[in-house]
Amino acid sequence: MTADPTALGIPDDAMRRLAEMRPGQATSLFTSDLSVNEFLLVREAGFRPLGLVLGSSIYHVGFQMGRWGSNQELTTLSQAMYHARELAMARMEAEADQLDADGIVGVRLDIEFKEFGSDLAEFIAVGTAVSADEPQTPDGQSWRNNQGQPFTSDLSGQDFWTLIQAGYAPLGMVMGTCVYHVAHQRFWQAMGNIGQNVELPQFTEALYDARELAMSRMQAEAERLAAEGIVGVQLLSLGHRWGGHTTEFFAIGTAVRPLRADHVIDKPQLVLPLTDS
Amino acid sequence: MAQWDGQGLPPVAAERIARFARSGLRTSLLTVPGATGVQTIGLDPVGEVMGCIVEHIGWSGFGGCGYVGGMLGIGGFSGFGLGGPTITSSGSRGIVGFGPYVDALFHGYGTALRRMVDEASAMDADGVVGVRLSVSHLGNNNREFVALGTAVRARCQQRPSRVFTTDLAGQDVAKLLRAGWVPCAAVYGISVAVRHDDWTTQRQASWGAGNTEVSGYTELVWHVRADARHSFEQRARAAGAEGAIVSSMGLHISEIEPSEGHRDHVAEANVFGTALVSFHQGSTTPTRSLTILPLR
Repeated sequence: MTADPTALGIPDDAMRRLAEMRPGQATSLFTSDLSVNEFLLVREAGFRPLGLVLGSSIYHVGFQMGRWGSNQELTTLSQAMYHARELAMARMEAEADQLDADGIVGVRLDIEFKEFGSDLAEFIAVGTAVSADEPQTPDGQSWRNNQGQPFTSDLSGQDFWTLIQAGYAPLGMVMGTCVYHVAHQRFWQAMGNIGQNVELPQFTEALYDARELAMSRMQAEAERLAAEGIVGVQLLSLGHRWGGHTTEFFAIGTAVRPLRADHVIDKPQLVLPLTDS
Repeated sequence: MAQWDGQGLPPVAAERIARFARSGLRTSLLTVPGATGVQTIGLDPVGEVMGCIVEHIGWSGFGGCGYVGGMLGIGGFSGFGLGGPTITSSGSRGIVGFGPYVDALFHGYGTALRRMVDEASAMDADGVVGVRLSVSHLGNNNREFVALGTAVRARCQQRPSRVFTTDLAGQDVAKLLRAGWVPCAAVYGISVAVRHDDWTTQRQASWGAGNTEVSGYTELVWHVRADARHSFEQRARAAGAEGAIVSSMGLHISEIEPSEGHRDHVAEANVFGTALVSFHQGSTTPTRSLTILPLR
């Protein structure tokens, strides 16, 4: 432990503060979607939470059949999955803009298919809008990105802290999606493979295609933000409700730019924790 | 056994508290890190505390969207695309909305928390940490609301004016106090909204609509969440807080059919969290952060 709690006035000052509280008095209030660890680390990184921000869209995803025997992108579905997420994110950014935020941290992007309609899904983006204690970055620029929007990041508060310490700033969440139909094997093809250990080049190629499309779309978004790189990339295969041969490949990460030339951080000290989790 | 009148604590709870005072036995629901955490900042666990209420919700409000076809005598009302606005429980008046239902939920949570705090005050505690709020459906529109937590007492002369409550774990309370923040109250916001499925909504949600946002449903969830967040913020403000950490947000949508050929959608949203106040402007983190790498 770094400091003696009683020297910090704990718990005396804390209890005195509670005793002095006048419920109902007007205060400025922030809300946040962060955990306690994240909240404290975001504060230490030099940012103040302003409020929980949220954007949502309930979207009717159109219908498209993949041809039984062919590998193809289902563009209608790709567009739907991208457009609906974009709507949710844009609305979340608009809320943050209203709070005059410099950025949004800890963004979660979820999809929930609804029970009351077969092709209906809710796309939701939730995060915590923050403003920087220093109005400008160490290199004298704005914390907002080159689109004039608050930066967004799906990194946890811990990762955000580490990123800032290491001399990087987040620019925005970037994503790419591709909904792909993988061809069924033709009868003779399937018969020919019975009892054999072989690669199915057609399947391999399909999955390559789909992932490359998703990742290159994500890269294009990062290039538009003039990013140096993308961190915390997740490449997900989401089955949703389309059956075994139709899958969404979704790439998402945080585009970053450097704040200074060196990126040295303290050498970590090794500890042996007494807990398992 | 004498019938309890619903005031104060039920006889068995009062008896447990009295026995607790006599025996001096200390109990706690905290994990080992949680208990160690609160002790390092001078809060000692004194006992687990509970509050509960079983409530019958027999009247939810008229629940309509305000466009009841039968009442207006035109069943095909929705055919004109004249969708009513979304009606939230806090904006519901007269014959529309779910105001009474939401009031009942607030009453349920509020009473469970108050009874839990009553037990804590009877134990001379200063706060309750790790509060768990839960609801179970008992059938016949009966619901049980339970609040469960661990009462703690501060190792100091100063007593807070009211027992503080928080749904944060012991470790989290310890980290917050070291950083100069103290939880003041567990707060929550709830809202239920209803929206008529107008013609536009039906068209957008139909099978052949292609890729399109269903603007009516988006508006419904937007309003209900905004209302729940607003009531959450109001309650945090009313507690005199400077900030609030949200621990969970829930949303549930369902379809109702108030009359033949007339469909509405109802959304229920809730936000739970802890309101905070700051008491010093010192360092913000309890310990140096990055420089440790656990060997696990």
